[in-house]
Amino acid sequence: MEYVPIKSSNRKSRVVGALFASAAMLLPSAKNAMADAAPEQGIVSMKYLNYHDSQKGDTDLTAGMSKDRMTVNALSFMGMVPIAGKWSVAATFIEDSVTGASPAYHGSGFPANTSSGASGDLRHAGDLNVTRYFSRGTLTLGTSYSQESDYKSLGCSLNGTLSTESKNTTFSLGAAYNNDTIDLSRPNVVDSKKSDTPGKKRVVSGLFGVTQVMSQNDIMQMTVTLTDGDGYYSDPYKNPDVRPGKRRMFTFMSRWNHHFDGPNGTARLSYRYYTDTFGIKAHTFDAEYVQLLPKGWEITPSLRYYSQGAADFYVPVGDAEFADPTHFTPPPAGAKHYSEDQRLSAFGAFSYGIKVSKDLGRSWLADVKYEHCEQRYNWGINGKGDPGIPTFNMSAIQVGLSRKF
Amino acid sequence: MMIMYGLSGCSSVQPWEKQNLAKPEMTFEGDRLDTGYTEHIYSSKEASSGGAGVGGGGCGCN
Repeated sequence: MEYVPIKSSNRKSRVVGALFASAAMLLPSAKNAMADAAPEQGIVSMKYLNYHDSQKGDTDLTAGMSKDRMTVNALSFMGMVPIAGKWSVAATFIEDSVTGASPAYHGSGFPANTSSGASGDLRHAGDLNVTRYFSRGTLTLGTSYSQESDYKSLGCSLNGTLSTESKNTTFSLGAAYNNDTIDLSRPNVVDSKKSDTPGKKRVVSGLFGVTQVMSQNDIMQMTVTLTDGDGYYSDPYKNPDVRPGKRRMFTFMSRWNHHFDGPNGTARLSYRYYTDTFGIKAHTFDAEYVQLLPKGWEITPSLRYYSQGAADFYVPVGDAEFADPTHFTPPPAGAKHYSEDQRLSAFGAFSYGIKVSKDLGRSWLADVKYEHCEQRYNWGINGKGDPGIPTFNMSAIQVGLSRKF
Repeated sequence: MMIMYGLSGCSSVQPWEKQNLAKPEMTFEGDRLDTGYTEHIYSSKEASSGGAGVGGGGCGCN
C-alpha cells in the first residue's frame, strides 16, 4: 500500500510559488510516510514466487541426511483504488502450490510420497482492506481468508492511526481475530491424530505503535504486539508431536530508516524481539540499503540474522536415533507436551538478498528479488542447539510487475 | 515506548523539510506483495512471527 509513488509536483503548486510548491509536494508525501494521507493514485501489481528448500547433512552426526525438501510456486495480485480523496480499497489474492515433503521428526521420517507438511498441495488466500482517511488519522477495516486442502483460516482486523498536529508523531492501534479449522481426516495425518472432528484454533492479536520523525532524514517506529491463541497447535503430520492448546506471544519491533543525501540512498534497519509461552525467545536483525540509480533503476541489497531458543517441550535427537534415524527419539516418560519439529529447536540463521527494480515509464515498474537463507544449529545465541538437526537452506526468487493509474 | 514519547517533543521538522521523508523508500510498509511472501516464508520455517502489523490469514504451514 505504501508502494504508491508520490507525485513530484502538480501544476497548481508551480503557479503559486516555490515554497508552496514544496509544501504541497511534501504534505501528501509526508503524510504517506506516516500512512495518513489518502493515496493519489491507484495501483495494480502481480508477483511470482519460486521457493525451494533443502537440508544438508554436512556433519558427522547428520551425514547421509542431505535431501531436497519443498518447492513452492506462487502467484499473487494486489490492487488498490483511491475513492473520493478520503477512502481507499485494497485487495490481494494469492495462489500457491506446494510439492515435496518435510520430515516427520528432526531431519528424518520423510513420507514415501508427496507433501507431508500441514500445508496442502494448493492454497488460495486473499484479503480486503477498506481505509478511511481523516485529517490526522486513518481507520482500516480488513478481512482475510486462506484455504488449502486441509486448512482454512478466516480473519478480520481493525487498525487505526492518529497523528499529532505537526504529523511528526503517529500513534497506531490495531486488533485482529483469526478463526482456523484443521482437517484431521486427511490420509497423511498421523494415525494417532486422525479424526473426523476438525481441529479448531482462535487467535486474537493487539498492536500498539509509535512512528516518530527524528530529523529531516530519519524516521523511527516502535511497535508492541500481544497475541493470544487457543486451540489446536500440534502438527497433525509430525510424530511425535503434542503441543499445548494455548499460546501467548509477545513481540517488540523497532525500525529506523535513514536517508543519505549524498548518494541519495536509504538505510532501513529493524530489530525484533519475540517470546511466547512455548518457551521460545528469538531475535531478528534486518538491514537493507536502497540505492537509487540513473535511468529509473533501484538496487536493494539486504542482510538478516535470526536466532531462536528451543521450545520448552522440544525433544532433541537421542543416541538411539543417531544410531538409527528410521526411529524417532521417544519423548520423556510422562511428558504432557513434546515435539521433534526442527522449527522448535534452537538455531541461528543468516540471510542475504538483492532486489533490483526498474521504472519502465508510463507508470510501469518491474522488479526481481533473490534471497537465500541458511539455518544451523550452532549459529544461534539463544542457547544450545541440537547437533542432530541438519543444516537447512532455503532460497526464493520473486519477479513482479506493477502499474499505477 | 516512553522513550519514543519523550523524543516526540524534540522533533520539530517542518512540512517543507520533509522532502526526503516523503520518498517511497522511507516508508515502513514497502512492497506489499514482497513483504507478504517474505514474512510467510520466514514464519513457516521459524518459531517466531509478526511484529509489523496485525491481520491477515493463517495457514497450515506453521
